[in-house]
Amino acid sequence: MILSLVFFTFSFAFYFITTVLYLGHWIFKKKWLGQTATAFAFVALMSTTMVLIARAGESGHAPFSNLYESMVLFIWATNAGYLLMEFKHKFKAIGAVVMGIESIAMLAASMLPYRFKSVEPLNPALQNKWHWMMDLLKPWGFEKYAIGWLDFHVFTTFVGYAGFAISFGLSFIYLVKNWTEQRGGRSIMDAFPEARTIDELSYRAIAWGFPFLAVGIVSGAVWANYAWGSYWSWDPKETWSLITWFIYAAYLHARVTRGWRGRRAAYLSIAGFLAVIFLYWGVSFVLPGLHAYAS
Amino acid sequence: MPENAKEAAPRAGGRAWWRVAGSKVWYFFNSLKLTLFVLITLAIVSIFGTVVEQNAPVEDYLRSYGEGWTKAILYLHVNDMYHSYWFTALLAMLALNIIVCTFERFPPKWKGLLNHKSEKFDSKLIEKFTNHQTFSVAASPDAVKERVIAAFRKKRYGIISSGGGGEWKLYAWRGRIGRLGSDVTHISLLLILLGAIVGSFKGYKDFRAILVGEDVSVPNAEFKLRLDKFWIDYYDSGQIKQYNSLLTVMDNGKEVMQKQIWVNEPLYYKGIRFYQSSYGTAWNKVEEAQVALKLKNRDNPGDPVTVKWEELKAMPGSPYSVKLVNYSADFAYDEKTNTVFSKSAEANNPAVQLEIYNNGKLVATPWLFIKYPGIFPAIPNSDTDIVFMGFKGIMYSGLSINKDPGTNIVWAGTIVMGIGFILAFFVYHRRVWITVRNSGKSSEVKLGGMINKNNFVFEKELKDIVEAISASKGE
Repeated sequence: MILSLVFFTFSFAFYFITTVLYLGHWIFKKKWLGQTATAFAFVALMSTTMVLIARAGESGHAPFSNLYESMVLFIWATNAGYLLMEFKHKFKAIGAVVMGIESIAMLAASMLPYRFKSVEPLNPALQNKWHWMMDLLKPWGFEKYAIGWLDFHVFTTFVGYAGFAISFGLSFIYLVKNWTEQRGGRSIMDAFPEARTIDELSYRAIAWGFPFLAVGIVSGAVWANYAWGSYWSWDPKETWSLITWFIYAAYLHARVTRGWRGRRAAYLSIAGFLAVIFLYWGVSFVLPGLHAYAS
Repeated sequence: MPENAKEAAPRAGGRAWWRVAGSKVWYFFNSLKLTLFVLITLAIVSIFGTVVEQNAPVEDYLRSYGEGWTKAILYLHVNDMYHSYWFTALLAMLALNIIVCTFERFPPKWKGLLNHKSEKFDSKLIEKFTNHQTFSVAASPDAVKERVIAAFRKKRYGIISSGGGGEWKLYAWRGRIGRLGSDVTHISLLLILLGAIVGSFKGYKDFRAILVGEDVSVPNAEFKLRLDKFWIDYYDSGQIKQYNSLLTVMDNGKEVMQKQIWVNEPLYYKGIRFYQSSYGTAWNKVEEAQVALKLKNRDNPGDPVTVKWEELKAMPGSPYSVKLVNYSADFAYDEKTNTVFSKSAEANNPAVQLEIYNNGKLVATPWLFIKYPGIFPAIPNSDTDIVFMGFKGIMYSGLSINKDPGTNIVWAGTIVMGIGFILAFFVYHRRVWITVRNSGKSSEVKLGGMINKNNFVFEKELKDIVEAISASKGE
């Protein structure tokens, strides 16, 4: 509990510093600020990785089992996704928005009441390890490190959420950027690439998030059928995940085939992420069920 | 032309009405507007089912929403929305939409992908693409053509050329299979749906509670299942870690397999799965009970004697022997049918029934109660009584039984879905048209093309290719 908490506190500070650095880079357009920001984003990623590792060591299972742990996973995945995007496309100003979202997520996770943070052993329904993996690791005596459906299901789902979070940030940037472009003249948004590019980036983030969410949903259903004998029981979490998936499916179909780009796409992406937030936090707090981290 | 139209008109009018209707329905479902409409509608209406409690008693709706709204809820089946006819109809519309769109789009796409090579083209086309470039290279057209081919090959493109005599036309492509990603994904969704439908029609779900040591015959199957042991594992902190049952499958009277199951680890035999789903203490059987002799004029009973289920046991110091034949966890008596039953599975009022023998002759079959010792004398016309002191219950294990022949189809569907996603989102179809033309001492290269998604990748790739072509041989 102590070690992961120390890393969590450090990570919190790192995300805050990273956000400020990216903001500085955006406003003052200094190259060194941008490079320092990227370096700090990487340090924050390492630190978040350490939270997860320390937590796994403390609880004896992959750290995916309550709201706090899953928030750290979400923050980790979003950061990793953002850094990959920056590495590929070299647009640094976007970091100010994404790291801003990260800082808010960090704040939310830190403000969770203690009972959502405590290290808990897994309840019977969540204990699952893949046999083939245990068999594979057995010769080295590592079979306790085998993963299972829970880990796969949660991990893929949260990579999906991370993609949607990044797209959400980009959609906001798009709306403002598009507005300033139409007005013409110089503006604070000049540090960002042109609106068309941001729109494309936003789509790319969803192109990552959507298949991962789908795999998350389907693996959950397959697991449920394997473990309890039914694929789908319309519990609130399942239903909301489907709602989210429908929204992004609509986004992709509209975009690919009806040319819904730009503003309308940005609104759909924002609506999608609002559904993600409800799916993740709303359902956990409001509605009971296996997925209710808050119960 | 008007004459032709006149000729055509009666033929169109002569088409059977069901053909006309059929094609109308077909075109209704072959529509992306419909896809968007259904997706957004499903997303919105699904919310209602998470807000309005599902399958609750009518009184609950009355209390929460009042009479008017309750009528509306019941009329529209919002109380069991996900199984209502209209929700199912929406899902069916989506499925039909997918089927029709796949049928309509896949064959031409497939043909187009097979016969895609178009190295004979109008060179004006190149400049119409968003991604196009014109540049000159100081080399002969034939040499430049070879460089173009090498540059595209290096980026793992296929490329063909035609022409000669100082003017070449080339066509390069990569990632054609990515175009099929959407179709593969849609087919996978249909497969998963099919698996679920097969499962719900051909499969069944059931539940059995098995007492430790007992066997039950499995519904709709030829074999039996015996519960050898049930136990609970705990963490050091005292929280429950896992529920376990040790099961033996008996097929044709032979023990064919034994397996420990727990939540998340079912037993699978001949297409049927057995899941650990609940447990408890049996309400109609105990392993053993403690009974004791008591003289009616004394306050305290004698030493308790342990009596096993259905085993005759002599009571020391008396002519009596007893046999434990019945148990009720929450004793109740139905006067109409003259039978004993258990009001609940909880041991609220545990009672045992004994057969009492005096020198081998059955003299009484009383019910004895832990909570009310001596309320009814156990043996009529005797100064000795027998009291029920304690018992050791038998655990039962609740097994969900599920036969689902659709599972394999669903599995296949998930694998196809993974492939579909990789193709759809991470394999991009690029096509590039190139002309190489003699222009004095150097050659003019024009190239332009498109990618079906992810323009970033394409821009960067084209930049690399142009650099590779332009680079002088000396480098």
